[in-house]
Amino acid sequence: MKKIISLLLVFTFGLSSCEKDDICDANTPTTPRLVIKFYSSADPSTPRSVTNLRVVGIGPGADPNGIVFNENGTSTTKYLANGNTISIPLKIDEDITGYKFILDSDDPNPDVTNSDIITFNYTRQTSYVSRACGFKTIFLLNEQTTELPNTSGYIRTDDPDTGDGVWMKTLNLKTRNIELENETHLEILF
Amino acid sequence: MKHTLKYYFSLCFVFAMLLGHAQEIKDSTATKPIVTEKPKTKTAKPAVQEVKADTIVPPKTDRYGLRVGVDLYKLTRGFYDKDYKGVEFTGDWRLTKRYYLAAELGFEDKTTDDDRLNSTATGTYIKGGFDYNLYDNWLDMENLITIGLRGGFSSFSQDLNSYKIYNSNPYWGEKPSIEANQKNSGLSAAWLEVAGGIKAEVFDNLFVGFGVQLKLLVMNNKPSGFDNLYIPGFNRTYDGSFGVGFNYTVSYFIPIYKKKVIVPEIQKQAPKKK
Repeated sequence: MKKIISLLLVFTFGLSSCEKDDICDANTPTTPRLVIKFYSSADPSTPRSVTNLRVVGIGPGADPNGIVFNENGTSTTKYLANGNTISIPLKIDEDITGYKFILDSDDPNPDVTNSDIITFNYTRQTSYVSRACGFKTIFLLNEQTTELPNTSGYIRTDDPDTGDGVWMKTLNLKTRNIELENETHLEILF
Repeated sequence: MKHTLKYYFSLCFVFAMLLGHAQEIKDSTATKPIVTEKPKTKTAKPAVQEVKADTIVPPKTDRYGLRVGVDLYKLTRGFYDKDYKGVEFTGDWRLTKRYYLAAELGFEDKTTDDDRLNSTATGTYIKGGFDYNLYDNWLDMENLITIGLRGGFSSFSQDLNSYKIYNSNPYWGEKPSIEANQKNSGLSAAWLEVAGGIKAEVFDNLFVGFGVQLKLLVMNNKPSGFDNLYIPGFNRTYDGSFGVGFNYTVSYFIPIYKKKVIVPEIQKQAPKKK
């Protein structure tokens, strides 16, 4: 009987000292990034890797070094993408996000470097995830329109600062819904 | 042995109350001397009787009635936790020697402040079921060590006060939390409970006790676009449907009628065993 009593006591006080241990699991789908995959313009079914692509946000609050693509890279290489797929975050407090895509940004010869701009227009929706993760934002890109081209889902222009022509030949939007990161949202042929 | 165990039993409760509730220090320490005196007088008499009472069976009665009480943990928590207000009343009715009908009725208003969410749950709940007393009392003691089952039902509101958007890629900077003030009322939940408890009589008819409950959610009516993070009576929810709870009670027993214990043969043997 003594044992039961002491066990109950221990159990009760054990419970009352529980700490909250909620950590948002990294595998939980939260606010998605926009996933871009690059293809060869000569053969649109073949993925093509970019070389030293730097992606820099346009507007206040943007890091001029660009998006970090390799956490483990050096102070220069961590901002450079070399694969055929990149993921870029959209602003969660505005309905417009613009990025400069600078190809061969590391090349000492400025003629090789080429910079294009893509502006994304979208609507946002917040959605509940869990106690630990809180809410997430999901995006719906606007439809492409010729009547009001400034509000289209994506707008590719040449960088006016460089005036070096566009390197992205064709853009194919695969889906307007940006909800998950495990699919390609936009294909770029170059 | 009887004396030490009784003493130990009472002392456990005194310590339990001291640890949990600063408010209760005066009450529980005051009860201590009375508790320790009582057993002495009670145990002394039958001991004398037993010597000459091989054939004479002392009449023994069990008291039946209603016990009503209040959960001190919920009551006192409001004084030191500004995010909490609550009260729980408990009651049980003795059905047979070992079975008790038991119920709890309560109200809770709790604001939960998580890292990314701030929400308030407000509502009332009712729990009903039975307790089974596992404890074999000596003589006319009426202490209880119970295990029981309950069904619980709560009607409440779950208001989302503010939230943060989780963004694992904060290139555009971390955003502050957003005021939502979203009211979700008319929600309900139901659950089953396994309740373990212990109650000791510290004064005549006055009991202190504590209990722990393991809960299983069977119905959970969630608000659209949000979740029930706290359910009055059920407490915090977890990813699954399990929950836990505990209470410290002070209760008063209102005796209504008595029943004679009619097992003389066992009574004769009982003193020998000791």
